[in-house]
Amino acid sequence: MFGKRIKRYFPIFSNKPHIYFDNAATTHKPKVVVDAISDFYSTFNSNIYRGVYELSESATERYDQARESISKFINAADASELIFTSGTTESINFVADAWGLQNIKAGDEILITQVEHHANLLPWQRLANRVGAKLRFINLDIENWKLLFDEKDLINEKTKLVAITHHSNVLGPVWDKESLQLESFIKRANLVGAKVLLDSAQSAPHEKIDVQKLNVDFLAFSAHKMCGPTGIGALYIKKGLHDQVEPYQVGGSMVNEVSFEKSTWKESPDKFEAGTPPIAQVIGFAQAIEFINKNINLDELQKYEAELCSFAIEELEKIDGVKILGNKEWMRARGHLVSFVVDGGYSMGVHSESVHAHDIASYLDTKDIAVRAGHHCAQPLANLLKVDSSVRFSFYMYNEKSEIETAIKILKESIVFLRGK
Amino acid sequence: MTSKLYQEELMDHFKNPRNSGRLKNPDVSSGEYNPSCGDSICVDCKIKDDIVEQVGFVGKGCVISQAAASMLMESCVGKSIEKILELKKEDVLSLIKIKLGPNRLRCALLGLQALQDGLKKYQKDK
Repeated sequence: MFGKRIKRYFPIFSNKPHIYFDNAATTHKPKVVVDAISDFYSTFNSNIYRGVYELSESATERYDQARESISKFINAADASELIFTSGTTESINFVADAWGLQNIKAGDEILITQVEHHANLLPWQRLANRVGAKLRFINLDIENWKLLFDEKDLINEKTKLVAITHHSNVLGPVWDKESLQLESFIKRANLVGAKVLLDSAQSAPHEKIDVQKLNVDFLAFSAHKMCGPTGIGALYIKKGLHDQVEPYQVGGSMVNEVSFEKSTWKESPDKFEAGTPPIAQVIGFAQAIEFINKNINLDELQKYEAELCSFAIEELEKIDGVKILGNKEWMRARGHLVSFVVDGGYSMGVHSESVHAHDIASYLDTKDIAVRAGHHCAQPLANLLKVDSSVRFSFYMYNEKSEIETAIKILKESIVFLRGK
Repeated sequence: MTSKLYQEELMDHFKNPRNSGRLKNPDVSSGEYNPSCGDSICVDCKIKDDIVEQVGFVGKGCVISQAAASMLMESCVGKSIEKILELKKEDVLSLIKIKLGPNRLRCALLGLQALQDGLKKYQKDK
């Protein structure tokens, strides 16, 4: 059930009719999710675990159920492997601080790709600087839009962590699925004993994630990019690693015994969730997962979004001067976003290299079409591609082909207007 | 809000920026760069008796940043340093005659930032 048929579950579309193509930033929320959050505050608001009264028991039950259902969603072997965080950014910072500081030493290597979102770059940059480790990069071949694995020593005995994105928030798919590139890469990392973190912020909303099959050690994703509330996300930590990971924060709820001098921690997940958690958001997150489980077949969603990408690519390529960023073949097969730049704008009274992405986005906004323009929190990638900013259309279950037709029509209008021809 | 965003006057300033180009032997030279979108403004001024007599600027970026800079520079010729340093975001918005949300406001203020930074430095060095 996609497009118009699912759109009716999202109240924002009837409250404010618009075309929403900024789903890679955040998705809209179905009414059931909005209601679940409000329902918590109006009918069983209380703190979890500590109260022995009915309200607190209900809240605790719902909170624990949420962990069960979200851990099943990514096929974790055990619910204790699923830690609630404020989102992907906190999940990755969590691993850098609570595992990295203890386990990565001077001279060790951390391997990431050139296409990472700042959230999966900056924590490793900082960790490497703190402990004297080396941050290395899997390069992007910008002719063919493929990650380069030519260097034989990219993964070696010094590699302690591989932290990679599953889908780029600028380019879409970056791994060659046909050759099982990601899977064999993870295998190679395992062989040298490196841990693997997968940034699934852009994949968990769009395809079936199976942490056991992927065989990753850490996996991070956000609720708000998949129908859930903001301020909540998850970090999967493989059970065997729970003892190697320190508490990210210490305080209430996560302790066994506390004296004035020392304390002992509980087991995961309590050990990793100090203080009162965002209970309402967790309940909203679980409701979002339930909404997806009930209404969406993720394999079909991926196909549907890929069809939208194919159509958008086809139409964009008809426009003179439009350059699409990323591997088009992979986008057509399993993408959910299309980023592009437009040549031939004006600057200082003369023709410049490009029509500014912000101007295109603002022009589209005048017709109630929401798209993203900028470097999409991947500045080094933008520099590598030599584009200051690009326009991004990113799709989700409720988008329709007819919306792309409308957006393309207005895009053409905006280009003519901004080029001034 | 944005329905009148790209009105004629704004587009005219974008395509035909006033006071464009660098000045020879400027008293003030200052640049501002927004790394989040790559927009930049470089402004030069000639100053006599604390009055900005001549302004020249070059830049790169979106319509809002470049047109707002052009309108601002045009309005500042002949003004005292003191007056220019008093200018606030509201003054730029009333010059460009459009409403902007907080995200696009940064574009509109790039020129003002460059100019005020340069003038502050000039005062300090003097």
